[in-house]
Amino acid sequence: MGKLKTEEFVVNMGPVHPATHGVCRLMLTMDGEKVVKIEPVIGYLHRAIEKVCENRTYPQCIPMMDRFEYVTSMSTNQVFSQACERLAEIEVPERAEYLRVIMLELNRIASHLIFYGTTAMDMGALTPFLYGLRERELIIDLFEMTCGQRLTYNYIRIGGVSKDIPKEFIPKCREALDIIEGKLVDYEGLLNENPIWLIRTKGIGHLPAELATSFGVSGPVLRASGVDYDIRRDDPYSIYDRFDWKVAVCQNGDCYDRYLLRLEEIRQSISIVRQALDGLPEGNIKAKVSPKFKPPVGEVYSRIENSRGEMGVYIQSDGTTKPLRVKCRGGSYNQLQALPYFGTGGLVADLVAIFATLDVILPEVDR
Amino acid sequence: MSDNLGNLELIHVFYWLKELLLSTGLGEPYVTIVSYVVLGAVTFGVLALLALFLVWWERKIAAHIQQRFGPMRTGWHGWYQTIMDAVKLLQKEDVRVDKRDKFVFFWAPVVCFVAAFLAYVVMPFGNQLIVADLSIGILYVLAVTTFTVISLLMAGWGSNNKYALLGGMRSAAQVVSYEVPMVAAILTVIVYVGSLSMVDIVEAQSGLFINWFIFKLPFGPIAFIVYIIAATAEANRVPFDIPEAEQELVAGFNIEYSGMKFAMFFLAEFVNMFTVSAIAVTLFFGGWNGVFLPSWVWFLGKTFLVVLLLMMFRWTYPRLRVDQLMEFAWKFLVPLAFANLILGSIMKYLGWYW
Amino acid sequence: MTKEELRSYIDSTFGSQLKALDTGRHDPMYEIEPQNLVKTCQALCDDEKVKFNFLCNISAVDTTEKFEVVYSIASLPNKLRLDFKFSLPYENAEIDSVQEVWSGANWHEREIWELYGINIRNHDNLTRFLLPDDWDQGFPMRKDWDAPDFIRLPEK
Repeated sequence: MGKLKTEEFVVNMGPVHPATHGVCRLMLTMDGEKVVKIEPVIGYLHRAIEKVCENRTYPQCIPMMDRFEYVTSMSTNQVFSQACERLAEIEVPERAEYLRVIMLELNRIASHLIFYGTTAMDMGALTPFLYGLRERELIIDLFEMTCGQRLTYNYIRIGGVSKDIPKEFIPKCREALDIIEGKLVDYEGLLNENPIWLIRTKGIGHLPAELATSFGVSGPVLRASGVDYDIRRDDPYSIYDRFDWKVAVCQNGDCYDRYLLRLEEIRQSISIVRQALDGLPEGNIKAKVSPKFKPPVGEVYSRIENSRGEMGVYIQSDGTTKPLRVKCRGGSYNQLQALPYFGTGGLVADLVAIFATLDVILPEVDR
Repeated sequence: MSDNLGNLELIHVFYWLKELLLSTGLGEPYVTIVSYVVLGAVTFGVLALLALFLVWWERKIAAHIQQRFGPMRTGWHGWYQTIMDAVKLLQKEDVRVDKRDKFVFFWAPVVCFVAAFLAYVVMPFGNQLIVADLSIGILYVLAVTTFTVISLLMAGWGSNNKYALLGGMRSAAQVVSYEVPMVAAILTVIVYVGSLSMVDIVEAQSGLFINWFIFKLPFGPIAFIVYIIAATAEANRVPFDIPEAEQELVAGFNIEYSGMKFAMFFLAEFVNMFTVSAIAVTLFFGGWNGVFLPSWVWFLGKTFLVVLLLMMFRWTYPRLRVDQLMEFAWKFLVPLAFANLILGSIMKYLGWYW
Repeated sequence: MTKEELRSYIDSTFGSQLKALDTGRHDPMYEIEPQNLVKTCQALCDDEKVKFNFLCNISAVDTTEKFEVVYSIASLPNKLRLDFKFSLPYENAEIDSVQEVWSGANWHEREIWELYGINIRNHDNLTRFLLPDDWDQGFPMRKDWDAPDFIRLPEK
């Protein structure tokens, strides 16, 4: 068939496309069904959060941070509050630290449940999506019970948390954890051994460890490539060093490993939340912080392990009530950046699988 | 079969209608024409309603697999939801792409819709309840169901959209590949019946369920499995729904269609699903054969069970990739189907069957 | 390696290139010379003892008198963190790309170029990506940028 003239053509995957989880546009150069080149085009969701923060006082920035990454808003609150606390050297009360860890880990579970659902949905299995969201609802209810919000919590504040948990929180939380742990078995039964799932994910989208490190890829994607690095353990923040848990690591760096690793992380998070609930002390939930919070001159880059990798905030303070500069760094930013370097060569369906298992969310990329 | 239950056979309604027409004094040829027109209209109407019902049923099954309710607001368990949806689609603006291929774009849904219904000319709904008993029945079905692929290609080409074109090309490749194992599986049955007529095929399975070809043929279950896999692919359903793979091609070939034209594609898809199930029942599950109940009830009941199977596939499995799909067809299904056919033919020749 | 050990190691090994600052909180902060940027980064990345092979973040800061560019780096095998920065004049600000050390710097630098107007030398793909393609209304992250009442959208 050598005589037929063929030519590559460009397909716009996005900005509105079911598989891009938001408004990302991937310009694909395709040879038939084969993806030859990927060029991510971002900025459709650019809300200038960094610029807006420069004109807000520090406590007013926290609701902006909720919008920076709305799937795990708790961690955005945490990373900003932590930066402010490090700037002003505020000691956070013990109970507040425990509550923070509980909320952060619950939010991580919720985010990974969404990952489970959307990834399966991107490969055509629609049922797991509903399963994932069903269990996430339990966690969202817990958050609603605590801070009245279901998506943008504004819960973790500078110096502590905004409200104490209600009395019925702890039994409800334990119940929810038991349910989720039971349902994990169902999830794995549905996909782990499914032959179609295996041929769709095993060996697809192999991300070598060197490439991942060099591109600043972090979090579950990095650990799936065999790099044993978790900020919760290796650059401890809050009180993660007090709990007994394992960092999940896989070796192959393909889509299947990224999927397995996240399921394992749900298990570890459940264990952390249980330990935190057991050890929850009585006491104050918020250090005394003036509403006109004025940190001394200085700068800090604070980072935490979010469900999508390293989430960091750089703050430079000039000694006034408003930050001089706030820079947000999300894990998805670097993951999407690395995509053109390992996502090519497969078919469109493979690209969809790779994109789904990177678990990119676009507000974090565009900010 | 007792007499009073036998009166429930729909074929008597047809005879009654014919006698009514004859009593008005019309000549014999005109009566035949009128009665066939009525028959066609009724078949068409019933099938359109059936497609609407299938859409509702699929939504309910999907909902229950996913542990939710599905449509609940419109009537009892939302029974007229799809009727309202169809009415909504009828009212919608017919959006047309500027740079479409006008002729092809317009006729694609029509061809798809018509092709979906053509197969029912030879479908034996019940005892004697068949529009025309063609002697080449099953061959005719295979021929007209493949029309669908032409319509999908037309839709893909006419839309002037790369996603649509990819969807059309995928569907052509898929249908051509899966036609081969499907025909091989059907041939296994035909070898035993010795006739292509649908009525002959059903009558060869009369009697107890032990006479159904899935049990009677030497490797009946294998033939059935090959057929049902190929049929799922033929009906473009998960795990073989790559022509319209939502997360890859957005909506595939029907991406640029809206309103009524989209509704035609949509209903045709469900009619196709019913068609392949009905053929599966005719070939492997004894068609309308059954005891106590009227034959058309048996036929519909069995068909709905096969449809249920297809729906459960859809809501359980992820989708295959396009090259894996081809590999599966050519490297697994085709050899299996032909081995089955050859073995079955040898056993038929030697008389090693019952 | 603790933070104190890291500080003393940096002072002894890279003392000529990295000068300690006291503005950094929590993590050590250093100042470097902008013309040595790539060389210093390469040295930090290659040094066996520290091996800073992971770029967390690059952020530019407009302090209304000058620009500052802050690099936050980490070492995955040795679990270390370090920040360093340098100042640039307001006019004709220009820095070298550190892509050859950490490929992930690509988009961070592109963002700095786009939003602050700091030119990046040796960058392989200096095109707009957060702002519209035909943006011609200045550099929004600069402190002296006034948000216009109306922004003209590209005509299409």
